[in-house]
Amino acid sequence: MDKKNVKLRIYGMTCDDCVATVTRGLKEQDGVLDVKVSLKEGVGDVMLDGEKVKPEDLLKNRVFSKPSHYKAIITDQ
Amino acid sequence: MKNEIQKFDLVILGRGAAAFSAAIKASEMSDGGMTIAMVGTGPLGGTCVNVGCVPSKYLLEASHAVFNPSHPRMLGIFETSVKHDFSEVMNGLRSYVAHARDAKYAQVIESYSNVKLFNGLGKFVDRKTVMIVGQDGKESATVLGSNILIATGSSPTAPPIEGLSDAGFLTSDTIWNLEDLPGSFAIIGGGAIGLEIGQALLHFGSKVTIIEALDSLLPQTEPEIGYALRAGLEKEGMKFYLRARVSRVSKSANGKSIHIITHNGEEIVEADELIVATGRKANTEFLNLAAAGVDTDPRGLVLTANTMKTSAPGIYSAGDCVSKKLFLETLAAREGVVAVSNMFGEDMKIDYDSATWAVFTNPQVAGVGMTENEFSKKNGSCSCRVFSLENLTKASIIGETEGIIKITVDPKDNRIVGMHIMAPNATDIITEGAYAVKNRYTIDDVIATSHIFPSFSEGIKLASQSFIRDMSKMACCVE
Repeated sequence: MDKKNVKLRIYGMTCDDCVATVTRGLKEQDGVLDVKVSLKEGVGDVMLDGEKVKPEDLLKNRVFSKPSHYKAIITDQ
Repeated sequence: MKNEIQKFDLVILGRGAAAFSAAIKASEMSDGGMTIAMVGTGPLGGTCVNVGCVPSKYLLEASHAVFNPSHPRMLGIFETSVKHDFSEVMNGLRSYVAHARDAKYAQVIESYSNVKLFNGLGKFVDRKTVMIVGQDGKESATVLGSNILIATGSSPTAPPIEGLSDAGFLTSDTIWNLEDLPGSFAIIGGGAIGLEIGQALLHFGSKVTIIEALDSLLPQTEPEIGYALRAGLEKEGMKFYLRARVSRVSKSANGKSIHIITHNGEEIVEADELIVATGRKANTEFLNLAAAGVDTDPRGLVLTANTMKTSAPGIYSAGDCVSKKLFLETLAAREGVVAVSNMFGEDMKIDYDSATWAVFTNPQVAGVGMTENEFSKKNGSCSCRVFSLENLTKASIIGETEGIIKITVDPKDNRIVGMHIMAPNATDIITEGAYAVKNRYTIDDVIATSHIFPSFSEGIKLASQSFIRDMSKMACCVE
């Protein structure tokens, strides 16, 4: 396993339900090991298995795809 | 005291078309949540609005308004001299540029509270950090970007010609400050900028001589069009020296002497004023791109993939500082959108093949896709037709038949791969070519599509029909 920590800036979250939706969406992605999302900071901290998923693939997660209004960019990897 | 580092989701180096396009797209995609630093010097809006497309089109339109009434094209319409004041025209031009800059850039960016403007030149410290250097040469701020977009544009260059600096010259950056119209101009460079400015000055009444190193005009287009445009401009009084090399420039009693080497040996062109329009260089020298690991080509242009990603992760580039074939405001804006979309994880690619380009002379020249020569070189064969506007009813009615529509198709399936037009409104009707090339339409698709009669757009239909029938044996409106 190639463990990697990826930091995301997440746009569009306004409440705890949003945090739960984004967290659940990311956790369901194959290769994602752990997710911590902060509403206050608008960021996500994702631990992933680099052998299964690339950091850029997180941005293609269904939770960041239309018609979802959440969007994200990678801030650090 | 050392400046505290300010963090942003996106740092944009530049403040022209690519930069604005990217900032607005990023703001839209993040619903105004993305924090953006926009770093640059000079007036907001960059080249296009300040010293490019906008003032040059203003000057051309004003010059045509002076020239055309004294050169009527229809029977019974008599020559009329238009009263004008060049100095007032230039005041109007500068006033319009200021208005366009304010309305389309300054006021627009003010409405985005997530965008912070920094005055100064950006210089990479590392892959994420940019130092901003003020006019005094001192560090005024330091910004850190999760993503960075290099959109610093380009500037006019002058070739190393003996005596050129001492004699002095104008460029497409400085000509807009003219107050009075010199009696004669020599223009070094017969590309789009030289020809547009040259025709505008000619139409206002100056004598204009173009000095070009190549043996033809506008090498990006079909040779028939370059030749026809030259013939038309010569008919208006423009003088050309092609395959000419400038060896020396010197001041003379009333202006400047441009010493040129042609097949006739050395000749001297005398002119009141000299314009250098030989090309532009990328504004990348100051960026310290090596510190960020961003690769450039030998001309200093930033190398990108078609996603606008550079060699450095998290760093993108857009606009005239990018290594490519066409340098256009419209492409710059599109590249900004592509870069930002990919920051958000999309798989967007820039499409250069269906990008339209134009020269706003009268008649105008516009093109999209490959020329006959380009397609033949790549594929070994091609099929093409040249349609003269002499066969177009609308052109005949208004007496402006000096034009050509040339279409190149892939002979395997008749799909249109290139369209090049010289016509009074080529810049408008070329969009049909863009749709055709982008969507891989065939000439049959164009023929089967309704076109207004009589119109210039009908010329595209007739040019398509010329692949399948002899136009000299065709009546009006045959489908």
